[in-house]
Amino acid sequence: MSDTPSEAPVKSILPKWVRGPQDFVGGLAMMAVALFALWASSDLQGMHGFSFGAGTAPRMFAVLLLLLGGAVALMGILKDGPHIAAYSWRGPLFVSAAIVFFALAIRPLGLVVSAFAAFLIAAMGSHETKWVEAIIVGACLTVGCALLFPYVLGLPMPMFPRFLIQ
Amino acid sequence: MELFANLAHGFVVAFSPINLLMCLIGALVGTLVGVLPGIGTIATVAMLLPITFGLPPVGALIMLAGIYYGAQYGGSTTSILVNIPGEATSVVTALDGHQMAKQGRAGPALAIAAIGSFFAGCVATVLIAVLGAPLTKLALAFGPAEYFSLMVLGLIFAVVLAKGSVLKAIAMIVFGLLLSMVGSDIETGASRMAFNIPELADGLGFATVAMGVFGFAEIIRNLDHGAEMDRNLVQQKITGLMPTRKDLIDSSPAILRGTVLGSILGILPGGGAVIASFAAYTLEKKLAKNPSRFGRGAIEGVAAPESANNAAAQTSFIPLLTLGIPPNAVMALMVGAMTIHGIVPGPQVMQKQPDLVWGMIASMWIGNLMLIIINLPLVGIWVRLLRVPYRLMFPSIVVFCAIGIYSVNNAPVDVVLAGAFGLVGYWLIKHDFEPAPLLLGMVLGPLMEENLRRALLISRGDWSVFLSRPLSAVLLAIAAGLLVLAVLPTLRAKRDEVFVESEG
Repeated sequence: MSDTPSEAPVKSILPKWVRGPQDFVGGLAMMAVALFALWASSDLQGMHGFSFGAGTAPRMFAVLLLLLGGAVALMGILKDGPHIAAYSWRGPLFVSAAIVFFALAIRPLGLVVSAFAAFLIAAMGSHETKWVEAIIVGACLTVGCALLFPYVLGLPMPMFPRFLIQ
Repeated sequence: MELFANLAHGFVVAFSPINLLMCLIGALVGTLVGVLPGIGTIATVAMLLPITFGLPPVGALIMLAGIYYGAQYGGSTTSILVNIPGEATSVVTALDGHQMAKQGRAGPALAIAAIGSFFAGCVATVLIAVLGAPLTKLALAFGPAEYFSLMVLGLIFAVVLAKGSVLKAIAMIVFGLLLSMVGSDIETGASRMAFNIPELADGLGFATVAMGVFGFAEIIRNLDHGAEMDRNLVQQKITGLMPTRKDLIDSSPAILRGTVLGSILGILPGGGAVIASFAAYTLEKKLAKNPSRFGRGAIEGVAAPESANNAAAQTSFIPLLTLGIPPNAVMALMVGAMTIHGIVPGPQVMQKQPDLVWGMIASMWIGNLMLIIINLPLVGIWVRLLRVPYRLMFPSIVVFCAIGIYSVNNAPVDVVLAGAFGLVGYWLIKHDFEPAPLLLGMVLGPLMEENLRRALLISRGDWSVFLSRPLSAVLLAIAAGLLVLAVLPTLRAKRDEVFVESEG
C-alpha cells in the first residue's frame, strides 16, 4: 500500500447539500471543541457582581468559538469549497508512535536507548527508508544528542537504562 | 543623546565575548536549521528554544534573536538555490532568485540578499533604538482598557493580513485563546479545564504547543508527499559571489524601498515579515519600467523582498519590547522564552533591565553583520546540507524535538502533548486552518483576560469603558474598520492577488 494520498471516498458520507466539505467538517469540529470547553468549564464560578469569576473568560471564548465554528460550517453549506484532503496513515502513525515511545521510555530506559529506538520507529513512517543507512544515522544522532543536551547545554537527563546502573 | 548612550551601553553588553559567541552560535544554528527545506522560521525557533534554557537570560535572548535571523536567511538560501522556500517570507524571493541561480548567477543573488538584509537590519536597529523610549512612555499611559483594545487590534491585524479565510483565521485565534485558559486562574487560583492532570495545572506549555503544531505537524504533512521531495537543486558550482557594479546600482533603490516598507509593516501588530516581502515585491513590479523582467531573474525581485522581510523581522521587536505585545508568532515564542527566564515583557523591562533590551538591540546589528560574514563563505556547506535526503532528516528532527520538549520540564507528558498537538496541527493544515493565529491567540490569551477583568473592575462592570476612553475607542474603531475592509469583496480580491503571485 502506498502512503501517498489518493482521492478519498470521504465525500460520499456527507449529504449532497454540503458544498464545501472541508469547511463544513472543519467548522463542526471547532463547534465540538467549543462545546467540550463549555462542558469542561461548567463547574467554574461565573460572574459575581461586576467582577469576573474563574469561568467567565473561558465560557466567553468558548461561546465565541461556537459561533465562529457555526459560521465556518455554514460557509461549507453555502459556498462551493474543496473536498476533504485525503489523510495518509503511515506518517502520522509512526511519527506519533515514535513520540509516545520516547515519552514512555526516557525515564526508565534513558536517553541513549529511547532516542535511538524512537529514530527507528519514526523512520518506519516512510517507505523509502533504507535500514542500514537509517541505523548508522540514528546511532550518530543518538551520540550527538547524548553529548549535546547533558554536557554542552547542561540539561540533566537520564542517559542509560536504570537497571544497568543499579 | 540618551539614544546614543543607550545604544553604546547595548554594544558594551553585546560585545562581551560570551554574548558575541551566543550571537554567532545562534546565527549559525539558525541558518543550519533554516536551510533545511520544509522547516520554517517558527518551527526553527520552536525547535531550538530548549537549547537556550540553560543560558543566562541576556545570552539566551541574544541567541534566540540570532536563531531568528539565521533561520530567515537560511530560508532565502534554500529558495534561491532549490526553489523550495523554507518559509513563507522567502516565497517571493524564490521567484526571481531561483531564476538567477538557473542562469548561473546564484552567487550575486545570495550576495544581494545578504547585503539587502544587512542594510535593512542597520536601519531597523536604529529605528528600534529611536522609537523604543517614546513608545515606552506611551505605554505607561495605557490603562487596562487600552491594552485590551490594542490586543484586539493586533489580533485583527493578524487576521486581515493572513492568507486565506478571515473567518477561519478568527476561529483559530479564539481556539488559541481558549487553549490559553487551561490551567490555574490567575486571580482565584481555581484550576480550569485541567481535568486533575497535574501537568496541566500550570497550563499548556507554549513551547509544547508550538513544537507540536509547527514541528511535528510539518513533518507529518511533508511525509504525505512521499519522503523524496522534488528538488531541482542547482548543480553547477557557485562561482563569483560578488555582484557586479550594475547589480548594485539596479538593486540599491529596491533595497531602500524594501527597507522602508518592511520597517513600517513590521511595527504594525500582526504585520510581520511575510506581508512585508509580498508587498515589497509587488511594489517593485509596479514601479519597474519593464515589469516583464520579474519572474525571469530580476535582481530587484530578490533585493526588495529580502530587505523588507529583514527590516520587518527586526522592527517587530518594537511592540514586543515596548508594549509587551507580540505582533506575530515568532515574537510570541520570544515571549515564551522570556517568561521561562522570569522576564515579563513590557514597558518595565526597558527601565528595569536595560542590559537585556539594549544588549539585544545591539546584538541584532552584530547578528546581521555576522550573517553576511559567515554565510557567504559557507554557502557551499549549506548546499551540501540540502542534499541530505528527507528520509534521514525527518526521524532526526522528530527525535531532536522530542528530547528538546522533554528537557523543558523533564516531563514525559509534555512530549505526548506535543505529539497530540502535532496531530491537531496536521488536521488543521488539512482543513486549511492556519496555525499561526492560534499561537498568537494562545500567547495573548492570559494578557487579554487579565486586562479585560481589570478594565471592567475599574469601571464597575460597565462595558462602555472601552468606547468612552478615547485612545481605546480609536484602537477599536481601527480594528472594526480593518475587519470591514477585509471582508469587502474588492479588497479581498486584491489581497488574494498578492498571495497568488507566489504560485505564478
